[in-house]
Amino acid sequence: MTDQKYRMNLMICGGTSCVSHNSFEVKEALEREIARQGLKDEVCVVTTGCLGFCEACPLMVVKPDDIFYTQLKLKDIPYLVEEHFLKGRPVQRLMYKPPEDGSRIAKLSEIGFFKKQILIALRNRGLIDPEKIDDYIARDGYKGLARALTEMTPEEIIQEIKQSGLRGRGGAGFPTGLKWEYVRNAEGEPKYLICNGDEGDPGAYMDRSIVEGDPHSVLEGMAIGARAMGVNQGFLYIRNEYPLAYRRIHIAIEQAREYGLLGKDILGTGFDFDVKVVRGAGAFVCGEETSLIASVEGRLAEPRPRPPYPAQCGLWGKPTNINNVETWANVPVVITRGAKWFSSIGTDLSKGTKVFSVVGKIKTTGLVEVPMGLSLGEIIFDICGGVANDRKFKAVQIGGPSGGCIPARLLNLPLDYEKLTEAGSMMGSGGMVVMDEKTCMVDLAHFFLTFTKDESCGKCSPCREGIPRMLEILTKIKEGKGEMEDLDLLNDLATVIKETSLCGLGKTAPNPVTSTLRYFKDEYESHIKYKRCPAAVCVHLVSSPCHHTCPIETEASSFVAFIAQGKFKEALEVNRMVNPLASVCGRVCHHPCETTCRAGEVDEPIAVRALKRFVADYERTNGGKPAVKPVPKKYEKVAVVGSGPAGLMAGWELGKLGYSVTIFEAERVAGGMLAWAIPEYRLPKDILQSEINAIRASGVEIKTNTRIGKDITIDDLFGRGYKAIFLATGAPVNLRLGIPGEEKDGVVDPIEFLKQFNLKNKAKIGKKVAVIGGGNTAIDAARTAWRLGADVTILYRRTRNEMPAIHEEIEEALREGIKIEFLTIPVEACSENGRLSRLKCQRMQLKGFDDSGRAWPVPVEVGTFEIEVDTLIPAVGQAPDLTFLNGNSSLRISKWKTLEVNPETMETNVPGIFAGGDVVSGPATVLEAMKAGKIAAQSIHRYLRGESLVREYKPKETQFEVPPVGVMPEEGAELMRPSMPTIPIEERKMNFKEVELGFTREMAVREAIRCLRCDLENIRLKGREV
Amino acid sequence: MPKLSLADLEKIREKARATAIMREGGPYRVKVTVHMGTCGIAAGAREIMDTFMKSLEEKNIEDVLLTTSGCAGMCSHEPMATVESAGKSPVKYIDLTPEKARTLFEKHVVGGEPVQEYALGSGSERTI
Repeated sequence: MTDQKYRMNLMICGGTSCVSHNSFEVKEALEREIARQGLKDEVCVVTTGCLGFCEACPLMVVKPDDIFYTQLKLKDIPYLVEEHFLKGRPVQRLMYKPPEDGSRIAKLSEIGFFKKQILIALRNRGLIDPEKIDDYIARDGYKGLARALTEMTPEEIIQEIKQSGLRGRGGAGFPTGLKWEYVRNAEGEPKYLICNGDEGDPGAYMDRSIVEGDPHSVLEGMAIGARAMGVNQGFLYIRNEYPLAYRRIHIAIEQAREYGLLGKDILGTGFDFDVKVVRGAGAFVCGEETSLIASVEGRLAEPRPRPPYPAQCGLWGKPTNINNVETWANVPVVITRGAKWFSSIGTDLSKGTKVFSVVGKIKTTGLVEVPMGLSLGEIIFDICGGVANDRKFKAVQIGGPSGGCIPARLLNLPLDYEKLTEAGSMMGSGGMVVMDEKTCMVDLAHFFLTFTKDESCGKCSPCREGIPRMLEILTKIKEGKGEMEDLDLLNDLATVIKETSLCGLGKTAPNPVTSTLRYFKDEYESHIKYKRCPAAVCVHLVSSPCHHTCPIETEASSFVAFIAQGKFKEALEVNRMVNPLASVCGRVCHHPCETTCRAGEVDEPIAVRALKRFVADYERTNGGKPAVKPVPKKYEKVAVVGSGPAGLMAGWELGKLGYSVTIFEAERVAGGMLAWAIPEYRLPKDILQSEINAIRASGVEIKTNTRIGKDITIDDLFGRGYKAIFLATGAPVNLRLGIPGEEKDGVVDPIEFLKQFNLKNKAKIGKKVAVIGGGNTAIDAARTAWRLGADVTILYRRTRNEMPAIHEEIEEALREGIKIEFLTIPVEACSENGRLSRLKCQRMQLKGFDDSGRAWPVPVEVGTFEIEVDTLIPAVGQAPDLTFLNGNSSLRISKWKTLEVNPETMETNVPGIFAGGDVVSGPATVLEAMKAGKIAAQSIHRYLRGESLVREYKPKETQFEVPPVGVMPEEGAELMRPSMPTIPIEERKMNFKEVELGFTREMAVREAIRCLRCDLENIRLKGREV
Repeated sequence: MPKLSLADLEKIREKARATAIMREGGPYRVKVTVHMGTCGIAAGAREIMDTFMKSLEEKNIEDVLLTTSGCAGMCSHEPMATVESAGKSPVKYIDLTPEKARTLFEKHVVGGEPVQEYALGSGSERTI
């Protein structure tokens, strides 16, 4: 990070070691000399983090030439400035000489966790022994106090703190200097000050860490404050749950007294100040200053109305100042380094740094201290490494139970007091609880409200009575008994409680509810209207997370339980009840059930997809066929257009209800994308066709080679007696990249490529293939091209973590030797003699986040390169083909060229016509298409029976109640998710043999035994027996 | 101990700095810091401390300064320790076990060679 304005930037190391080698003095000397030589507008001195060469400290890098000076001494400075910066002759003698053997250990300054941190409050972390005052003194400890006592008047101290812009680090961010001034000017003697160490927010522990790790920094800050405010007695209030902090602050006080840094006549200046430690019993309300004062006085910790404020009437009715631990720890630095320096860090209104404790679903849990204004995304991803288990980031709760949540779409939010308040949260103490997609926001609000209900002191009625009322409503919603009006009631209650509560506890308690309502209203609606908990958490609604999550409602927990007992036939029946394509789904499903599986919280989720495949294969290999019971046709004729997963599902469901269904398919074979886009090494054709044949056998007619709009029109269908039509024509049109040269020979449409190959066994590709994109179509095209003998490279603009393709597919592609160039986009396809020969590429970097919380790629400045290719397959997206409507339909079409339907019923604006699958949603998953087919079938049934189409939603319950298998815990403890057996890589070239071999019987049973049987909880809750 | 004057405070600072910074020719050859905040202790820092103490006694080593400190910030990677040889960058070790502590004592503290497998990084953090 260098400033372009200057001719030269001097990066001087501000790491610990450098600081102890007097790098500040060196920096000051440099600045003096630069000014003296009149170079102030040309050369800029910047303090950086530790550069990791502590043995050569203090050191400096001169940018832009990267000249490295080491072991700088004060006496070298005038010569260096004159020779190098004025006359332009670098000084050899002071330059760094690299050692013979380079260390292979990373530099701390290059590690993400440390790179963006700047330590002020935590300046001594890990560096000093907290039980040795000399260690603290060595690192400039008590220098600020010495300065405050000998060089500054109390007014000057207050002025310095005011100018620094330091604000309270414990809650609302009140300007510290102003608070001090009030106390100084207040009438009444004696005056008191208090350090608030009653850190009560769940997940916040920075104050504990400071008191434990650097107790003198707090004492020194308090002493400086005491001098400024005219206080002789301070109190340090610390919660009893922090025994180590309590012990260490005691040791620190003893040592400070011994040195005369506390007590009478400090440093011989005639100033007296001492500190008494008060233990708190751990009441959350003590974070509020008037309650804390009551507690210090030995009374029941209850707040009282303000004004009068503690500055006028505090401890024992005397003027009292209260600041929290982190604020006090900042004070000595403001005095030693000065207000100007301190206020150069941070944003306009929030100066300095803030310590955040980052906990929850995060890769690196810890304390981070960053300049105010750093973005939320930088803390979560750049510093703490992102969400644990690479799950999707959902939200972060900042400020504990008093704060609010910030959703993924605000990852670019700069963190300072104002911005957080605007976003409906608050800085609070700086506790950050990171939540992933498996957190239910209604449950979260419920959790925090339960906490504040328990911690409410009960003195004022809005808080005492209001919070439990809000909690009752949340409980109702969590149980699926809520109504939409409840949401307004929650907001109304929140407003009243915020406005009328006596203290900060009540005033902020509704925040978790109001902020989740603000950002996640759809989740509340989902619980109320659809009886669904999207994160599969709320137990009254969630039969089992896998069952709850499956778009077509497969009772995964039940069939896995049957497998554990060796009852494979029953297990299959559970699947067949809802799914005519169990073999297909057992191979290509993107298994959202495994994402929500609770076994995945501690180790690996249950391999539900592989188990499904196992039972479906078991049926086939044992001579069975999908049981087919033709249903008598008692109802009207229904036409389905398209035989992909949506069409097949709708046809099958309608057939079961007794309708005469005809599916019209334009291609030669049925199956849609399943037949011609998904390659055979993932889904063998015979397996697909045997399931389609079973659907046929159940009485569904499939007319292939019949293209709607060409062979027959939609109007014709009505004319031929079809009473309802379901349009499921998919999204087969490939989108263009929009780069120059894309129309050249050698650029291949992936959909066309897969289709030609899968249906006609024809392929038109070269030897060096580049595939663009990160979705399943890209991976399918790449692995198909690889099997045909090509050398394949995939270009994807983001990183592995953001890739939307199924995880296992990416793994296998990499194992097969397909290269993936991450963070790369193509910019031009170049040709020679009219034939594609090279691809010009641009390197990207992730910077900031889009509205969905995905990292956003931007070009790297100098980052173009070329690769040799003869084939380019752009697979960056697909759209529906609506030409079958012949442009004269009255069907409503969205701006994305998809058909518009009512998402709850799949009805279009034209009576009798329904639509679903990719033609409505754009490219999605097999399972989502099947879900749309199922809903459409139910709606068509209601439509033709003259019933209202409005769906009624009830909490899902499992139909099967399978008793537990009764495994001994020690047996269960050894169980591990088996990895899917596959054919060796060398056997995959030049053929399309199925790669995954499926589980053996033993593997399947052992894996099924590992299931935690979440379904039993719901069964018990509903008063049912197993 | 009598009360300090300003000059005394500076003297202590100079003296303490001399021991805090590992210089060649200084009183100690190596400084080993075990991070013992609540997070470190909960993760087993006491055992790590015991291991180092025992190793020092067994080998009768006197030029190694074994000391403690608070939380180093990366709470999910505790127990952590920092080893700083005179004239070299300090090396931070994470996720220690008594077994690992014994190995790094042998190799780094006694042998002077940092143990790459257990190391997080070298150098120090950016402080003010």
